[in-house]
Amino acid sequence: MSQDTTANRSIFSGKPLRILIGFILVVNGMFPALWILFTSLKTEAELTVKPITWLPHAPTIANYLRAFTDQPLLLFLFNSFMVAILSTALTLFVSVLAAYALARLQLRGRDLILSAIIAVSTFPLVTLLVPLFEIMRALGLLNTWVALILPYTVLSLPVCTLILVSFFEGIPRDLENSAMIDGCTRIGALFKVVVPLSAPGVFTAGILAFVNAWDEFLLALSFNSNPMLRTLPVGITLYQGEFAFPWPVISAALVVGIVPVAVLIVIFQERVVSGLTSGGIKG
Amino acid sequence: MATVSETTLVTTGNESGTKWWTRFLDPSERTLAVLLLMPAALLLTLIIVYPVCRLVWTSFQNLSLTSGVPATFAGLENYTLMLEDPVFWETTWNTVLITLITVPGALFVGLALALMANLPFNVKWPVRLSLLIPWALPLSFAGLIFAWFFHSEYGVVNDVLRRLGFEGVIWFNSANWAFAAICLTIIWKTSSFMALIILAGLQTIPRSLYEAADVDGAGRIRQFFEITLPLLKPAIVVALIFRTITALQTFDIPFTMTRGGPGTSTATLAMYIHQNTVDFLDLGYGSALAVVMFALSMGVTAVYLRMIRAKR
Repeated sequence: MSQDTTANRSIFSGKPLRILIGFILVVNGMFPALWILFTSLKTEAELTVKPITWLPHAPTIANYLRAFTDQPLLLFLFNSFMVAILSTALTLFVSVLAAYALARLQLRGRDLILSAIIAVSTFPLVTLLVPLFEIMRALGLLNTWVALILPYTVLSLPVCTLILVSFFEGIPRDLENSAMIDGCTRIGALFKVVVPLSAPGVFTAGILAFVNAWDEFLLALSFNSNPMLRTLPVGITLYQGEFAFPWPVISAALVVGIVPVAVLIVIFQERVVSGLTSGGIKG
Repeated sequence: MATVSETTLVTTGNESGTKWWTRFLDPSERTLAVLLLMPAALLLTLIIVYPVCRLVWTSFQNLSLTSGVPATFAGLENYTLMLEDPVFWETTWNTVLITLITVPGALFVGLALALMANLPFNVKWPVRLSLLIPWALPLSFAGLIFAWFFHSEYGVVNDVLRRLGFEGVIWFNSANWAFAAICLTIIWKTSSFMALIILAGLQTIPRSLYEAADVDGAGRIRQFFEITLPLLKPAIVVALIFRTITALQTFDIPFTMTRGGPGTSTATLAMYIHQNTVDFLDLGYGSALAVVMFALSMGVTAVYLRMIRAKR
């Protein structure tokens, strides 16, 4: 996507071919989401016609109404939102503190801590299902948001800390020092000067943490058996139909679940790409 | 956190005249650093370090919450039980197979997507979005959407097959077809992340290298194998580590698509751990299974780290 054409030039320089390739990329990325959108707009009768139709003939929002009334979809949405937002906030708070210590302060074993953080980022959280289940059970946290917020925070902590360290290192020390001369404490300077100046980095880290929490499935399925505490992925997957799996309602619910994250991605696409790839390139 | 005791003992000279509470409000740099790292350290201890110890301990215990009997030391019983358990072998084999198929699959598809996305498009956002949307989509949503794609009656895959003159396939009634559908879904879902990482790597390769190769008369294909691929290697290895570790943990997509069926033919090790822990409440056996998965992923990380080191 860079201005400079790098790896593959003249073979593909023909404009029609480039448009075709762009079309292939867009279809590959968008078709599944579009298809579920089309499905959600079809009437139940249209969905059982053979051969199947592609575009909805008589678009209807009936499936959306049913998605919200058949099951507590709004509650699932609320649970997902609260868990994702609270864990994002906690992740950001903890990783801002840690990143500041790693980027700015004299610290013995700094490199060791950084490599430990990278090691944690590849840790298979699934293997801790049993002990985490036991811990949450012992603490009486099963069937609460907290049971999910704590592991989700740890899930995103490494990548967020690494992103923030590299942003903090780019802030000139002079700005911080002058704030401290004006009577700020170091912590004051961190939150009044360094964090606002690193806003793009904080945002990137926040979006990654939010998407991680929004997408997680196994822990949400395992720790919160109470249907009222299900997150959206679990709630939709465990939808019970009267007869078969209720595809019209499911597709509408899926669209409802895709929209919030899709909006985030559309607005902040460049930030997200830079956040995702920074780890990959440096490593 | 051995540094805590050392650093609190360090009192810097210019603070000696001040009252103790001002020192508390404006501590020395090292003390502050340790304090700032504390919340992260506490969380990691609660969610990772302590659970890992507990996991290993529980795997040597007889601990079933359904029996109501308190935990007793079982030695290697859970592990010997595992060796004789055909479902353990089947789910482990499925997990390894999924990893062996979908990791290279996602790498090749991701590489192709990245090379295509690296073309000089006039409008860049549609291409960028079509790589980001599959990444942002929850795995469980991808599983549900593709389960609908592969629906035997009303799925779009069979519709296309029928239009092309083939017979439709009843995907989820046969172990092999169900497994193929799961692998295709995982490859689709994970290749876009690969593509994003590889694309970022591609964009760091200086153009002058290709110009020099042009002058030397090297063809496009040789340029790809002798410039592009070697320079992409670090980015690819990092992407492969993450992808392999997550492939070993595969749960969401088979769970949403087949629930492991037909029978247990598409169940993964993560699904078997979940079943033993949450459904059967047999924590001892679930832990032993998790230790095996832990060992598998540590092994993979070790191999990749050695690869990185060998290349440097």
